[in-house]
Amino acid sequence: MQVILKAVLWALPLIFGLGFLAPVIAQGLEAAGIEAPLGLAPLTLGLLIGGAWGAFATLKGRWL
Amino acid sequence: MSNPVAFPADLSTLSDAELRKLENRIARKHSGMVPWGIVSWAFANLLVWLSLWPLVIIGLVPLWLGFALATINIALVYLPTHDAQHYIIGKPGAKLHWLNELVGHATSWMMVYPFSVLRVTHLDHHRHTNDPERDVDITSHAGTAWQAIWGTIRQRQPDGKRSGDYLRCLERHGRRDLILLAIGYRLGFYAILIALAWSGFALEAFFLWWLPYQIAITYILFFLSWAPHSPGMGRGRYRDTKNWRSKVGNLLSMGMQYHVVHHLHPYIPLMRTPAAYREMRPILAARGVKLEL
Repeated sequence: MQVILKAVLWALPLIFGLGFLAPVIAQGLEAAGIEAPLGLAPLTLGLLIGGAWGAFATLKGRWL
Repeated sequence: MSNPVAFPADLSTLSDAELRKLENRIARKHSGMVPWGIVSWAFANLLVWLSLWPLVIIGLVPLWLGFALATINIALVYLPTHDAQHYIIGKPGAKLHWLNELVGHATSWMMVYPFSVLRVTHLDHHRHTNDPERDVDITSHAGTAWQAIWGTIRQRQPDGKRSGDYLRCLERHGRRDLILLAIGYRLGFYAILIALAWSGFALEAFFLWWLPYQIAITYILFFLSWAPHSPGMGRGRYRDTKNWRSKVGNLLSMGMQYHVVHHLHPYIPLMRTPAAYREMRPILAARGVKLEL
């Protein structure tokens, strides 16, 4: 249990990036009427940015 | 309002014990009443914030306005829970103790902290103010206002020291149960945000809770933690907290200009600390407290 909890906490920034930031970016783009580049779907772009940023935060220990 | 406590013009003739006796008399005069103002504040603030969600979702309140109001709501949530942490609304065994605990529990979750965690860690901050090893708020210390703001943002990053300080404090108090509860709150917060986001309410979740929370925490730590205790403040009863002049006034700095009174007598309700300070001021000056007002 403790091992699972530690793993979840370690990966929390990545989970946050994919689970929350990605839909925020996608719905933000749609609300603003902005099209994602390269013909990507808004959610795909959101997952790319949110996932990359979350992975950075997980590995580096900081978002900024 | 009872008459001011009388004391000699020249306090230098008084002994340490006599000064303490006078200080305590003033403190007692400004305490013991039920702070109905802060109780009303707690529930009104909670109701406004909760009502923002349906109002924004059905479009009666625009998201930008909801964001502004939610930021104010979450910035205002700490002070009622803070009075409750100190049992100011009702001590254990008192008739209104249940109300004290209700205020604390009903408000603290908006800040994603269990009330019990806030109480244990905050009371420890009072015991160890400005102690580099044991003060849970030591990471708020900074040389300048901008450094303080950046510091609180930095401390909320995954590798920030502040969360670890809180967990170590809970461990020192043998409250591993609260560590799990705090983690549960954090995971629950993320689960709610994610559930809302994938249900089509990502922007509402972002602008009514996540971003207001980030702004409010920065604001709260700036005025409650950095301004009264840093920079250059030492340790000890009359050295760890200062009275200071806020550039944005007492209201916008959440009454924290008089935070020194709270540290000396934490049972005085927030709304009575300015009056207590004005009456206590000559004694505090005689004690060598850093005073700007």
